[in-house]
Amino acid sequence: MQVFDFAAYARFKWSDMRMILKAMGVTLHVTLLSLAIGTLIGLILGLIRCAKNPIVNKLPLIVMEPLRNSPLIVQLFLVFFGLPSVGIRMKAMQAAVLTLSLNTAAFFAVLVHSSIKSIPEAQWEAGYALGFNKFQIYWKIIARQAIRLLIPQAITLYISQLQCSSLVSFLSLMDLSKAGQQVAQKTMLPFLIFGIVAGLYFVLSFPLARFAKYLEKRIGFTI
Amino acid sequence: MGGYTLNFRVLLQYSGLFLQGVVLTIKICVGSMIISFFLGMLLAVMRQSKSRVARFVSTVWVEVLRNTPFLIQLFFFYYGLPQLGIYVDALVVAIIALGINSSAPNCEVIRSGLMAVKTGYYEASAALGFSKFQTFTRVVLPISLRLAFKPLTSNFVNLVLTSSVCYGITLMEIMGVAKTVSARSNRPFEIYLILLVVYCIFTYLVSFVAKAIDRKIQIKL
Repeated sequence: MQVFDFAAYARFKWSDMRMILKAMGVTLHVTLLSLAIGTLIGLILGLIRCAKNPIVNKLPLIVMEPLRNSPLIVQLFLVFFGLPSVGIRMKAMQAAVLTLSLNTAAFFAVLVHSSIKSIPEAQWEAGYALGFNKFQIYWKIIARQAIRLLIPQAITLYISQLQCSSLVSFLSLMDLSKAGQQVAQKTMLPFLIFGIVAGLYFVLSFPLARFAKYLEKRIGFTI
Repeated sequence: MGGYTLNFRVLLQYSGLFLQGVVLTIKICVGSMIISFFLGMLLAVMRQSKSRVARFVSTVWVEVLRNTPFLIQLFFFYYGLPQLGIYVDALVVAIIALGINSSAPNCEVIRSGLMAVKTGYYEASAALGFSKFQTFTRVVLPISLRLAFKPLTSNFVNLVLTSSVCYGITLMEIMGVAKTVSARSNRPFEIYLILLVVYCIFTYLVSFVAKAIDRKIQIKL
């Protein structure tokens, strides 16, 4: 039972902890950047999905469906290891951010689409009856309600993307999981190290999860 | 495209390897599906129970699993278990870790199914003289599993997608095979493209079949 060999825990030095914390910065960097880009692209895709034209509103699906229905790790490898043979070369960081943003965008677009669609049709008619144009209806009636439905779900998505960002360690990027792996290998204390790493992920995402639940109660509503 | 021509024919010689990968993926998925389903059901029942301890354990279990990455959980078991003196195969670790990981979403889904069963059913079965256990197995469970069927299948699709992470512990499942073949054949683009398409087709198939079954088993409450 090596777990109870407490003397061994001295192998875990402060410098190792610093390395893990530094790697947490990389994880945050990758995640936040790709969430920001992904949200923006996802918003655009989601709004196109809401278009009236039956051909136009299917167009985003071409991008979204493969992204939503395949493992993130395959997407990462396709971008990082696959694209160079087609002549598109990028650094691990760029590949990670690009893939994660597109992945986030695909899921975010679905949320945007579903929350706009869940506002009843009658509100559009009411808007037209009041003499609003399409943009005014979106801005003054639809968006304000849709965003209240959207935000809690978006936070849940962000949390799951934070977990998924651990996969960028396969691109030899020094993120929280990769640092955890290296330190665990060095100190031979997998229980402790992976426990700490899991704890750090938990600290990042659990408050957010609670916040999403609170928001859902606070600003959510049923139509 | 820099004059690059896609060549899928080169990969044909590796089809046997791919088939082995598919078999291993199926093994992982089926094993962990069974674990995650029963564990999820247990957790859901615990969450609904009157005992505070059971509710607490279930809540902590679910929250910890949902807020930590699967990769870390996998490593925790793979590298951690030998420290406890438990030496198991990577395949077993993958099945257990994946099963535990997706017990969390399954718990949520089954729980919302359980909550949707109206009190009238409990009263009716009490009136028929059913014991508590009988009420649960004969009345509540069939109804709530029917309600939970569709979200359960989408959880299982997620499980299959997540199973690709098991490549991280040296398992030669479909993703691991792809990595090896891409190194050998030097055709990474084609391989990962195929993988992407295969996973997509698989997901569509499952959700198509699930919809069909769902239509068949739904009852009016």
